[in-house]
Amino acid sequence: MIYGDKKTGVLVQGATGKQGEFHIGLMNSYARQVGGRGVIAGVTPGKGGKEVHGVPVYNTVKEAMRDHDISASVIFVPAAAAADSIMEEANAGIQTIVAITEHIPVHDTMKAVAYAKMEGCTVIGPNCPGLLSPGEVKMGIMPAGLFSRGNVGVISRSGTLTYEVVDELTRAGIGQSTVIGIGGDPVIGQTFVDVLERFKSDQQTKAVVIIGEVGGNLEEEGAKSTDLPLVSYIAGISAPPDKRMGHAGAIVEGGEGDSRAKIARLKKMGVPVASRPSEIPAMVRDLFKGHC
Amino acid sequence: MKLREYEAKNVLKEAGIPVPAGFLIRSTDELPPYLDALGDDFVLKAQVDVGGRGKAGGILMAGKADGTKVAKELFGRQIKGLPVKEILAEQRLDIQHEYYLSITVDRSSKQPLILFTDEGGVDIEITAKEHPEAIRKAIANPLIRDIPLFKLRELIGTAPKEIGPIINKLYRIFIEKDALLAEINPLVTTPRGIFAADAKLIIDDNALGRQGFKVNRDFTDREREAEKHGFSYVELNGTIGVIGNGAGLTMSTLDLIEFYGGKAANFLDVGGGAESERVMNAVRLVGSVPSVKVIVVNLLGGITKCDEVAKGIIAASIPQKVIVRLAGTHEAEGRAMLLEKGYEMLDTMDLVVKKAVEVAA
Repeated sequence: MIYGDKKTGVLVQGATGKQGEFHIGLMNSYARQVGGRGVIAGVTPGKGGKEVHGVPVYNTVKEAMRDHDISASVIFVPAAAAADSIMEEANAGIQTIVAITEHIPVHDTMKAVAYAKMEGCTVIGPNCPGLLSPGEVKMGIMPAGLFSRGNVGVISRSGTLTYEVVDELTRAGIGQSTVIGIGGDPVIGQTFVDVLERFKSDQQTKAVVIIGEVGGNLEEEGAKSTDLPLVSYIAGISAPPDKRMGHAGAIVEGGEGDSRAKIARLKKMGVPVASRPSEIPAMVRDLFKGHC
Repeated sequence: MKLREYEAKNVLKEAGIPVPAGFLIRSTDELPPYLDALGDDFVLKAQVDVGGRGKAGGILMAGKADGTKVAKELFGRQIKGLPVKEILAEQRLDIQHEYYLSITVDRSSKQPLILFTDEGGVDIEITAKEHPEAIRKAIANPLIRDIPLFKLRELIGTAPKEIGPIINKLYRIFIEKDALLAEINPLVTTPRGIFAADAKLIIDDNALGRQGFKVNRDFTDREREAEKHGFSYVELNGTIGVIGNGAGLTMSTLDLIEFYGGKAANFLDVGGGAESERVMNAVRLVGSVPSVKVIVVNLLGGITKCDEVAKGIIAASIPQKVIVRLAGTHEAEGRAMLLEKGYEMLDTMDLVVKKAVEVAA
């Protein structure tokens, strides 16, 4: 695990909303299953004193921090208020923030990420499914049933495509150390480089699968930054230029971020690139034969 | 969303960046009143939403005598297939030197990135390839209101120092208008001072609401329909319709179609927790594309209720074949409902895509 474990106390902002309530339930049923602490407090301004699935709700993050030992949080608040929530949590001393919220304007994200960095806080996302370290902790919305514990880390810009790959890995008998969705926006708190650095110092992780997509060159920067054994898959080779493919960050702009060019650069660095998700397990197994 | 040139120039002008005197006309008749102000030589620029319009014949030189004739010609042209509905008539500048200035969102540093070069008028990608050393860069801290003077000095180098305030003004625009790109190329020096001869502004789609910009005006009917339902939708030109949940999985489905030798007709991401009505609307929308012969539905995720999805597919009742891959809760119920109505449901995305490519061939 790299961002949290069984001992991590989690706060949820936007706890009384439909999404927040639903996922507090799922995160805590996972916590019970693995014997972890899970979500221990929620925050929704104006709803202090309520309870969601037995979890106490506070008006502010500072109030929740006063009563509980919290080190991480998951944010479900709407886009217009999400950047403010990130800054509130960073200011209150939370160490790791997972921002699930989609459609946050990029300028808000840039400010919130810069502010969090100033406060020494790590932001994952926004527009991401969060992370899951099998047997330890779930912070986000990933469907826990697909996961199995093992030595392979997974980093992805996507949500459901990550579940697809995790499902393939689990069916092939390849367990995961931590699976993390870093988000589909152009500006995200933790990039491939940042997460790979964490995986490098994680005893459990022996190899990493990088799931990227059209847009930018964060995948290549990540691959360049580490000596961990990697397998990659890049979505969007059939994406036309200047069209945004669902994710705000999935676009070829100014000739940068084309999937084919990205794949060519990764291969040049010696990273095996799968041409479809179902090829990934066999390629991971090849890595283990070679390196581990 | 990319603003048109005249819209971008209006934004610049309001912020105090000099732009050439210009007038927007929507027909040839609107030109004559402006002829005196435009002077002896002026430029007519088609306001169409495509790149490279100059090479495609979208920019013409004109004078007082032949102005209306040239405008009429330009209104009659198609630029890369698009009709010319608006023309910006602009004074010609007496250019001494061309510079390049842009501000973008830098994914690596997670902060705004300012680029400046003494070699303007050229695509920055070409400069980046041929003379990367000519591009000066500065990262701006989004928590500071202005760009510090030392950074401006580093950017400008030996170029006229009057460019400094223009960089700061463009930075204010970049921040205040929620821009993903603010570009002046070329930024020119003339005997009358410095001007933004051309300008490009791309506004963050997620901020169009608070900026008061109308969402993309060039939507097709189907794109407008998709927007109404909150689907991410991109039209392509193949025969296999695609509906997925999540941008990555949907893109990957498109790629897989190409891998197996087929051509996708569209990208449609229905989003999370798709209820039956949403699925029905998605299937009908994709089914309404004339070239679509078969539709692949690829939905995966813990919270997707398969019986709801099945209900939606059946309710859409479109003539084309729909091939389904579903994984989530109530999977058995969903499968039974689909099988009863004669729909094909396969276990992996490889299998559904392979099947669809066969059907479309």
